[in-house]
Amino acid sequence: MSEVAVAIPLTTDSKGLPLAERVSIRNVSFHYGDVRALRDINVALYDRRITAFIGPSGCGKSTLLRVLNRMYSLYPNQRAEGEVLLDGENILAPGLDLNLLRSRVGMVFQKPTPFPLSIYDNIAFGIGLYERLRKSELDARVESCLRQAALWDEVKDKLGASGLSLSGGQQQRLCLARTVAIKPEVILLDEPCSALDPVSTARIEDLLFELKERYTIVIVTHNMQQAARVSDFTAFLLLGELVEFGETTEVFTRPKEKQTEAYVTGRFG
Amino acid sequence: MSLCAGAAGLGLGCLLVILGTLLWHGVGGLSLGVFTKMTPPPGDSGGLLNAIAGSLIMTALGVAIGAPVGIFAGTYMAEYGRKSKLTAVVRFINDILLSAPSIVVGLFVYTIMVAPRVRVSIPIPQQLVSALGSKIEFTLGGHFSGLAGAVALAVIVIPIVVRTTEDMLLLVPQELREAAAALGTPRWLVIRRVSYRAARAGIITGVLLAVARISGETAPLLFTALNNQFWSVKLNAPIASLPAVIFQYALSPYDDWQRLAWVGALIITLAVLALSISARALSVQRKAQ
Repeated sequence: MSEVAVAIPLTTDSKGLPLAERVSIRNVSFHYGDVRALRDINVALYDRRITAFIGPSGCGKSTLLRVLNRMYSLYPNQRAEGEVLLDGENILAPGLDLNLLRSRVGMVFQKPTPFPLSIYDNIAFGIGLYERLRKSELDARVESCLRQAALWDEVKDKLGASGLSLSGGQQQRLCLARTVAIKPEVILLDEPCSALDPVSTARIEDLLFELKERYTIVIVTHNMQQAARVSDFTAFLLLGELVEFGETTEVFTRPKEKQTEAYVTGRFG
Repeated sequence: MSLCAGAAGLGLGCLLVILGTLLWHGVGGLSLGVFTKMTPPPGDSGGLLNAIAGSLIMTALGVAIGAPVGIFAGTYMAEYGRKSKLTAVVRFINDILLSAPSIVVGLFVYTIMVAPRVRVSIPIPQQLVSALGSKIEFTLGGHFSGLAGAVALAVIVIPIVVRTTEDMLLLVPQELREAAAALGTPRWLVIRRVSYRAARAGIITGVLLAVARISGETAPLLFTALNNQFWSVKLNAPIASLPAVIFQYALSPYDDWQRLAWVGALIITLAVLALSISARALSVQRKAQ
């Protein structure tokens, strides 16, 4: 959306590659009842890039993530102010079709959340909400989604088994497969590896590199190495405010703010 | 520790004595005739067919009325109105209903369905008069009926099912609902496809326990379905039931009636035992998931 004024003036990254702003978070504040959790946040999420939200526990990074698919709207006492533009459309506007928004902005949670269905039906569930496919087409879609999540080889012989019978890392990849199955534009990941062992974590991170060829990805993590490894851009939040936002290499090696430097070097938080 | 073990032993001992006595007196009277013949007059041979049929009909109808109401109410409380005042009020009243003496339920249904006699008259539109007459008229209530018995049993089923449904749905992790919502799933579909699926074994267990509970209830039936010596499956007439027959026969001075009462008690006990075991098996399966 080039005609929209860009909050952070970046149109090419440091390698000279063009950047398209997919999501613009503008002056967003957030309240849990009377408690303010976020204040005047401005961040841009770029197409086919991974943006990491980092910060100590309670800084509001997960809250900000849950604004992006209006997950907070499930709870009556939570509200957001400001604007979040997805392809130029304000998703915080009242009357917005939340289910349509969530079909465009997918989410993977901290704890793996496979449905109590078979592995196959876990993927087919979301597809069935939007498309009526013939059995053969559906089979092909399920397979391609499981392949995208690097899970196909492990489950191809037991698609009828319960999704809950998989290991934690497999469950999380199943959730990723389920998310890409409905063809979202943006994928939100809320500490997706915090419940996983290092091997499973590495597999998910490898996957993110492949998935970013197609999607705009946001990852919340309290693991700084992970943010440094996987993300292109990093937003550092502290006590509900955005301290610094920029390219990950900049934020980690030449932070502009003292607080950022202290946090990324592990001196607090 | 020994006190606790003693108490447990005492409880278990009582149970075994009851079961043993039942078997001792009941098994001897068990025969094919019990399931094929009607309840006899004193001194004649017979079975419990009409009582078994009546019990099955009223229990099935009671669950058919009570379980959906209970499941929907429990769903409202756990899914839609988790923090609403209505939920708190309903939960409070439900807990009272849960422990209300069943004879009160019987009297309640007697008051609304058996005692009053209402003449219902439905006028028929002019165009249809020739085929059906000018109006449909029938009388509701005014006498004991199988329907009143089923409604009384349903009133007992509802609080049990409300409670288990709400509890089981509250156990479904909120993350699972969020995950379904994150795919853009409408609320009703989240409940139907995900919450019910995750809580299915628990909800079915609740319904089975409710069936077990009402299949042995006597008091609510005495004021509603009454009893019937003869074969009848009409819902607008008095209908026999196992507990009512046991009540009548056990108090009688006739040996063959008393023997049939023992058999009836054994049948109910075994049926309830089977139900409890399947409920238990289901909850074990739920935990294994």
